Amino acid sequence: MPPSTEDPVVTSSRREAAVALVLWAVAMAYTVGYSYAFGYGRAAEDVRLIFGIPDWVLWGIFAPWIFWTIVSSLFAKFFMRDARIEEEAADPAGQAGEAAEGNDG
Amino acid sequence: MGDPSSAGLGTLTMLLLVIAASVWLGTVAQRAVERGSFMKSYFLGNRGLGSWALALTATVQSGGTFMGFPSLVYSNGWIVALWISSYMVVPLTGFAVLAKRFAQLSRRTGAITVPDLFRERFGDPRVGLVASLLILFFMTVMMVAQFKAGALIMKVSLPGSGALALTEDGQGSWDRFYYFGLVVFTLTVVGYTVIGGFLAAVWTDLFQSVLMWIGVMLLLPLAIVAAGGLPAASERLRYEVVTKPSSADEQAEQAELWAPVLQRLKAIDAALRAYATAHDGKLPPDLQSLTSMTWDNGHFRPHELQYLGRDKSLDDLDQRMPLIVTPTNEKGWRAVLFASGVVKTGRISAPGDLVTGPGPFDYLALGLAISFFFQWAFSGMGSPASMVRVMACRDTTTVRRSIFLLGTYNLCIYIPLILICICAHSILPGLSLKNSDEVIPRVALHTTSGFFGGSFIAGLILAAPFGAVMATVSSYLVVIASGLVRDVYQRFINPEATTHELKRLSYTAMVVVGAIGLAANIKPVDYLQKLVVFSGTCGAVTFVVPAIMAAYWRRATAAGVMAGMLGGVAVNVVLYAAGLVYLREFKAIAVLGLDPIVWGLAASLVAGVAVSLCTTPPDPRLVAKLFDVAEPAGETGPIKPELA
Repeated sequence: MPPSTEDPVVTSSRREAAVALVLWAVAMAYTVGYSYAFGYGRAAEDVRLIFGIPDWVLWGIFAPWIFWTIVSSLFAKFFMRDARIEEEAADPAGQAGEAAEGNDG
Repeated sequence: MGDPSSAGLGTLTMLLLVIAASVWLGTVAQRAVERGSFMKSYFLGNRGLGSWALALTATVQSGGTFMGFPSLVYSNGWIVALWISSYMVVPLTGFAVLAKRFAQLSRRTGAITVPDLFRERFGDPRVGLVASLLILFFMTVMMVAQFKAGALIMKVSLPGSGALALTEDGQGSWDRFYYFGLVVFTLTVVGYTVIGGFLAAVWTDLFQSVLMWIGVMLLLPLAIVAAGGLPAASERLRYEVVTKPSSADEQAEQAELWAPVLQRLKAIDAALRAYATAHDGKLPPDLQSLTSMTWDNGHFRPHELQYLGRDKSLDDLDQRMPLIVTPTNEKGWRAVLFASGVVKTGRISAPGDLVTGPGPFDYLALGLAISFFFQWAFSGMGSPASMVRVMACRDTTTVRRSIFLLGTYNLCIYIPLILICICAHSILPGLSLKNSDEVIPRVALHTTSGFFGGSFIAGLILAAPFGAVMATVSSYLVVIASGLVRDVYQRFINPEATTHELKRLSYTAMVVVGAIGLAANIKPVDYLQKLVVFSGTCGAVTFVVPAIMAAYWRRATAAGVMAGMLGGVAVNVVLYAAGLVYLREFKAIAVLGLDPIVWGLAASLVAGVAVSLCTTPPDPRLVAKLFDVAEPAGETGPIKPELA
């Protein structure tokens, strides 16, 4: 458990990252699983074409593609938290360089 | 547009417009750069990227999207939809996993480059050094390989180059048109990148992404109409076959072996035609019905041959339809008799492979399908060029909006591209697997040659990949230059360098790296493409796990993160080395059928976590500074680097 002093930006980002990775895994399981089950090793004559798209491509890839695009958008709109990101810290390497800027820029 | 093997003047005009626009964007970027401190604005655009710039440039796979990928669809059919399908979740993996936190972390640490961020996060210069050396190596390899693509597109669009003639002559590529293209490409891309730095790279990238979208939207209806509709094109793929190229030696060796089979198929062809003539053009229901054939001697009995002509009428058949297909021999060769009467031997795919998995020649076995779900999702996330853009984004609203924009963009680019290339198989059946790289330009020139202004549309469609390649090279140039100037020179050689020195050095670094790219492509090596795949995988397995550890795991240590980086690379290198020894080619061994990216990520995870847990926990003050709500000023002492 992260300590209670943790910046809420860190906590919410971590949660969002975890959910995103889970969604990625679910998407893989479905798309690869469906395509393997219904698209692999089939006789070409048995493949039904829907608007010219093989059935397994439509239901295994194109339909979930639309689904995940909608899910991603909802995720971004309702699940992800906006956060105020603080101002920039001083450049850890270039104090000398930045200080000299006025002279030769 | 009399000569369809060369592009028209319109094409060249469009390309010159893209070049002009890129240079213009470079000068606009330069003005923006002058506003902030040099390092932060030149290499990071003052952290001001908006959602369009972030969404359409951080993970879009640039050059390959318009060249390599279409060629794969053309050559392997519908299975490539599965190969590319992880792009459906790339908006999530690309922007929801790291972006928000990296934007914050890089501000808290003041980091300008990816090695900077690792170095400051763990308070250890060695982490930064390991990261920058790895980045310099991978990025240089990947950048060098892009030059050839740029030069080739330039060449294709030059009137009179004849680049689109259907010749198999590989030597023809290295002529004066190629060199001219190479020089123009290098001068342009290095020129505008030097002028405008990071922002120039981002803005040209955004510009080409929009061009690419327009190009695809224009080409989709043109291709569908030219193919006689998508259903017709797809029907054709049910029986179409593709041939793998084979060497002259192999052909000579196999020719003798297959001579009797050829005889046999010719005889069957004659018998089939005789049967059809006697039966109103109808072909027999099976080969046994060919009473004129004597099957007893010679190769193949009827049941051994795949017969596709059952109940079809010879007159209505597509001439490209295979009628008889033999089984393959131990070398993978087979013979095919086509409806045209032509017999071909070679490594020919089985009919039907273009509409089912795993595709022709076992193109995408299950393990590979899984591997590519890792590949696209994580290579976009782990590439230093992408991470830098995330560090440069303006705020969190930008990140959220980018997820939506990129999702919509990917949907509108990849699915139409798949459909276009499926149609291309009908429109341009003759492309060999070797010159199918130019399938999109060829379809563009072919479908637009009929009407006024067509060559401008073709030009637009050609300009998009050219812009994509330029943008890729440009963004790599920025990363490489920042690696040399910031991570090596400023950090280790001369921390006191003035802005003037840093500026001069950045420009010099870009020009030198550009010159290396040019020199390496005067006679490009064939295995360069494989080196790109290798480097790309290295990038992902180096940075994905360490980046997640750095972002979210308080207990992660400097040693752990270095172990994560090196562990991933080590596994990748070992798998490729094993491939060199056992397969005798530059190809990784696929343990359990999975690509090295999966094993590399796993190794990186295990090494990173295990070594972190075995080393002393990091300085709590350093962790608190980067993970906790900012403390009121005045109580923080100097922070000791954990392993120093």
